[in-house]
Amino acid sequence: MLKEEGKAPSDLRLFGVSPQEPVVRCRRDTIRRGRKLIMSSCLMLFVVTTSRAEEAKSASSNWAFQPPQATVVPVVGKSDWPQSLIDSFILSKLEKVGLTPVGDAGRATLVRRLYFDLVGLPPTPDQVRAFVDDAAPNAVPKLVDQLLASPRFGERWGRHWLDVVRFAESSGKEFNFSYPHAWPYRDYVIDALNADKQYDQFIREQVAGDLLPAAPDESAKDKEDRLVATSLLSFGTKRHNSGGMAYRMEIVDDQIDVTTRAFLAITVSCAKCHDHKFDPIPTKDYYSMAGIFLSTEALYGTIKQKYSNNPTDLLPLGFKGAELHAAAETYEKKIDAVKKTRDEKKAELTKAEEAKKPPPTKEIAKAEVAAPEAKSLPPTEVEVPENTEKSEETPEAVIARLKAEIVPLEAAVSELEKNRPPRPPYAMSARDRAEPADTNIAIRGDLGQPGELAPRGFLSAIPIPRVPALDPKQSGRLQLAHWLASRDNPLPARVMVNRVWHHLFGRGLVESVDNFGAIGTPPSHPELLDTLAVEFMNEGWSIKQTIRKIVLSRTYQLSCATDERNEKIDPENRLLWRSLPRRLPVEAIRDAILVVSGQLEVEPPVGSTVTGLGDQLVRGVDTEKLQPPSNHRSVYLPVIRDYAPEMFDCFDFPSSSLVSGKRAVTEVPSQALFLRNSKFVAEQASHAAKRLLADSAANDDAGRIDLAIRWVFSRAATAEEQEGALALLALTRNTEEEMGSRDERAWSTLFLSLFSTAEFRYLVDIEK
Amino acid sequence: MNPIQQPVNLSRRHWLKLGSCGFGSLALAGLTASQSLAGPQSPRIPQFAPKAKRMIFLFMNGGPSQHDMFDYKPQLYKDGGKEGKKKKKLLAPMRDFAQHGKSGLWISELLPHIAKQADRLCVINSMQTDSSAHPLAIPLLHTGSFQFVRPSLGSWVLYGLGSSNGNLPGYVTVKPTRTFGGPSNYGNAFLPSAYQATRIGWEGRPVKDAKIKNLSGSMPNVSNGVLDFTQSMNRELLQRSGGNPDVKGVIDSLNLSSNMQEAVPQVIETAKESQETLDLYGIGGKRTDDFGRQCLMARQLVESGVRFVEVASSGWDHHSSIDTGLPRRCEEIDQPIAALLTDLERRGLLDETLVFWGGEFGRQPESQLLAGQSSPGRDHNAAGYTVFMAGGGVRGGLAYGKTDELGYEAVENKVHLHDLHATMLHLLGLDHEALTYRYGGRDFRLTDVHGKVVHDIIS
Repeated sequence: MLKEEGKAPSDLRLFGVSPQEPVVRCRRDTIRRGRKLIMSSCLMLFVVTTSRAEEAKSASSNWAFQPPQATVVPVVGKSDWPQSLIDSFILSKLEKVGLTPVGDAGRATLVRRLYFDLVGLPPTPDQVRAFVDDAAPNAVPKLVDQLLASPRFGERWGRHWLDVVRFAESSGKEFNFSYPHAWPYRDYVIDALNADKQYDQFIREQVAGDLLPAAPDESAKDKEDRLVATSLLSFGTKRHNSGGMAYRMEIVDDQIDVTTRAFLAITVSCAKCHDHKFDPIPTKDYYSMAGIFLSTEALYGTIKQKYSNNPTDLLPLGFKGAELHAAAETYEKKIDAVKKTRDEKKAELTKAEEAKKPPPTKEIAKAEVAAPEAKSLPPTEVEVPENTEKSEETPEAVIARLKAEIVPLEAAVSELEKNRPPRPPYAMSARDRAEPADTNIAIRGDLGQPGELAPRGFLSAIPIPRVPALDPKQSGRLQLAHWLASRDNPLPARVMVNRVWHHLFGRGLVESVDNFGAIGTPPSHPELLDTLAVEFMNEGWSIKQTIRKIVLSRTYQLSCATDERNEKIDPENRLLWRSLPRRLPVEAIRDAILVVSGQLEVEPPVGSTVTGLGDQLVRGVDTEKLQPPSNHRSVYLPVIRDYAPEMFDCFDFPSSSLVSGKRAVTEVPSQALFLRNSKFVAEQASHAAKRLLADSAANDDAGRIDLAIRWVFSRAATAEEQEGALALLALTRNTEEEMGSRDERAWSTLFLSLFSTAEFRYLVDIEK
Repeated sequence: MNPIQQPVNLSRRHWLKLGSCGFGSLALAGLTASQSLAGPQSPRIPQFAPKAKRMIFLFMNGGPSQHDMFDYKPQLYKDGGKEGKKKKKLLAPMRDFAQHGKSGLWISELLPHIAKQADRLCVINSMQTDSSAHPLAIPLLHTGSFQFVRPSLGSWVLYGLGSSNGNLPGYVTVKPTRTFGGPSNYGNAFLPSAYQATRIGWEGRPVKDAKIKNLSGSMPNVSNGVLDFTQSMNRELLQRSGGNPDVKGVIDSLNLSSNMQEAVPQVIETAKESQETLDLYGIGGKRTDDFGRQCLMARQLVESGVRFVEVASSGWDHHSSIDTGLPRRCEEIDQPIAALLTDLERRGLLDETLVFWGGEFGRQPESQLLAGQSSPGRDHNAAGYTVFMAGGGVRGGLAYGKTDELGYEAVENKVHLHDLHATMLHLLGLDHEALTYRYGGRDFRLTDVHGKVVHDIIS
């Protein structure tokens, strides 16, 4: 549908980086391509009429497919402002359009921002004081290093990665089976972030950890980690009820989607049915990758049951994992053997009892013959020898004997079942299939219409030297891993640096963090992005170093102050003249409530409560069992597709079926209702009240109000807050009849009130 | 351009100013049904005389098969089994069609109850949209865009008209899908967060158990005191942060939550309905219970002043086994939708309530047999499909537009999705070209640079 083009305000173009420019450009694309503009991974019929060569040519010139180049740091007018090269890039753009950065954030604002951003927890009043009072010039780097070294760091930043790879502990889709053995991957990610595992290695392990050669000094745990890492290929959504090629292709589609979007931020799965409409990805490339994954077996476990037809092996974990697993399997066989004998005896017994019954009358006999069940009765000839053998036994004696024989067998089964040997913990994993093979293109995604053979390989638009050739006897995953994580691949470093930037500023340098393709948004600061990406690779792909570099920039440390002049030029703060107030993710909101109430269990739990549920349909499980109460950090709560904890649903936790590098931020009444009325918040408010009353640091109302505000906001209470809080306390004390609990209830209401504020869940300037 | 477009051309900054004057008056005195909010949801004058004051959007997730429901194609019966132009076998409609009502509208036997409402339906057989892929077409239907996150139709309507009941959310979505855009299909995008939908339930779970959660707390006596103190701190922060729109969003959502606490349980109460009404909607029926409850809830909400209600039915993506799958879906929705129209009419609400029915696209006249499936279905079709509207100023008993003789694509009086959006806004008294919001230096609208109002279907 060709329509007249909308007029874009002309001042936009002066900026060069205006947020609106991509919008305008893409709309032109849309219009130009009109109706043909269709892309997705679904099965659809669709005729490409535009010249593919022409499309691909323009698409591969897209910035994201060019290798990143470090740029000379720009010279700025206000040369004393930058604290780092990041600041020079930012200031240079600001100066070009006449923007001035606002002042630096206050110390208390900064310490709160750093704690939440790096470890996802609020600082205690003591920690705030220690930092605010630290006059040393290296106070900030010291704090940053301390936070980066904390085991809590991986719990915060690991969750970001778990969003991207749509980690979950159930299969989702129509049936949604539990995945009791997905959690080791969660721990692997947290550990990898804490250990600052080189990001290129992190990529390789998740794609082909099982195929990587052992490092010379590799421990058993390291080896196990490599195997667990490939769970990435196994915990995606699945229709366990389907089977055959359709089922395998569905898994493959998901594997292609997650690997290309998570590591490269491009959507290869669009090319399943047709050449990609915007990016240089022909259908053949899709099937080249599909061949690699079809030659791979995802090991996700599950058992055979109704709607679940495709169980696989799992990876036994631990020092004695394989041994324990083997012993348990042998033991199961033993149980099965006894059960078999028992069942045979039972069958005999049934038969003997049937035989003893008076013979049916003619009519009934006829009816029985006619009945379908009659066909399944064993032919009498078979029974003859047995009957002859025991001909001396009366039917009654046979029955009595069989009954006597069955009793000890039943006892043996129940005894055996009671004393099962311990099983090891398990994990998902992946491995090569015995006979790797190339696959054919499925024309328009239809498996019934095979096209030409697509030899296994990678994306033709990203040719990379030095990647070893595919070994026809292997899946090709190892080579794929090297290709994905190669220094010469223009995307992975940029994509990761941008993800980090997104989490620290609330918006990526490339806003579409999961789409660097032609319909993604172009970078606001391309030179900065490239420079950071090149440094990231040069500095050993260290995520911690990248975070450190960014948080030590003056740009990150700006205050949230507004400025009328700047607002007019750049109302959306695209060019980063200030820090934007950011809403905390739900995990941090919940964890902060638990810190204030003193209930947070900081030590990580072992495993997941989903393991205890076993293999079953989660929709049949009570909510309380799916999400049992827990005081662990939020990253450890079970992630069951479509059954996230209530608080997660309220506060924009992303769908765990989809790759999500960026979460929505909404403010809706259901959140207010949760914070004001839910059982969880009420309980925590009550714990916080008890804790406050027991704290010797405060011994009167004013002191307690101040302490409560310090716990919740990391700052002192104002006179107005003192006044308002006193009024609220008085109101509750007057309303509450029960003398014994009166004070506790009063202080609970104060905490309820504080938990509902905007200041509690937004990173804002806290200095007054 | 339009003298009364003032309510909709306000910038975000403008809203804040308006809002900050309004805080005091938000003290939420009595909670009468007619009470209005002096905030972003306050009722506003439409740009011109509206035909409809509210809207119910019945979303059939997956793409219902028009050939088997509304778009009567005699030739397709004859050609069933022959090879079609897309090289697959044509699939004859599974049931007979008959003409219904005074208007003689063609409706299939799959929809016996809806057929009795024929003279109320304005059926558009010539719909077209830009994508035949769910992940794109669903956001497109809901927001007018699939490339970018944009405000949803309901958010635009609420932004344009405000709510007429300050105690209820202005925009409610019942059992939305989590996939294919998920919450962005009822999101506000860059519009102030007050225009986002409030969700009840999720796709795939019975609506019977769904509610707006946490409507009451453990300390009801001091609830208002707690709220007052919270809001005083929020107002202080709003000032300190230079009118930050997110802080404003927190303030608004708290106020609304407080009003909702009292009003919502009274509104969506099944027990207060007569047995006759429950039976009408098929509540208690094996197949009709769930969607019947959703439709009843939609009526209760619009009756109480909610501006926009979306109700979703899922599972219309019949790539295979359409012969068993589609009749089942039709059975689920047929009686409840007919009941909704009847009930709105007898309560005098239908005239001013625009009811929309449709999916993100339709289906092909040819059959499709997926690998591993024994029974055929139909593939997606964005080039020609059917939706219908009723009430709210549309011409009843009308079949508008035509597809070719087999129903591959629209050929006469084509209605593009953007045109449909423009028409819906028009019926609600909003000019789709003037209902704009300035964001990041540009004026945005639901229909972007597209959209023509289809005047022929307006009564």
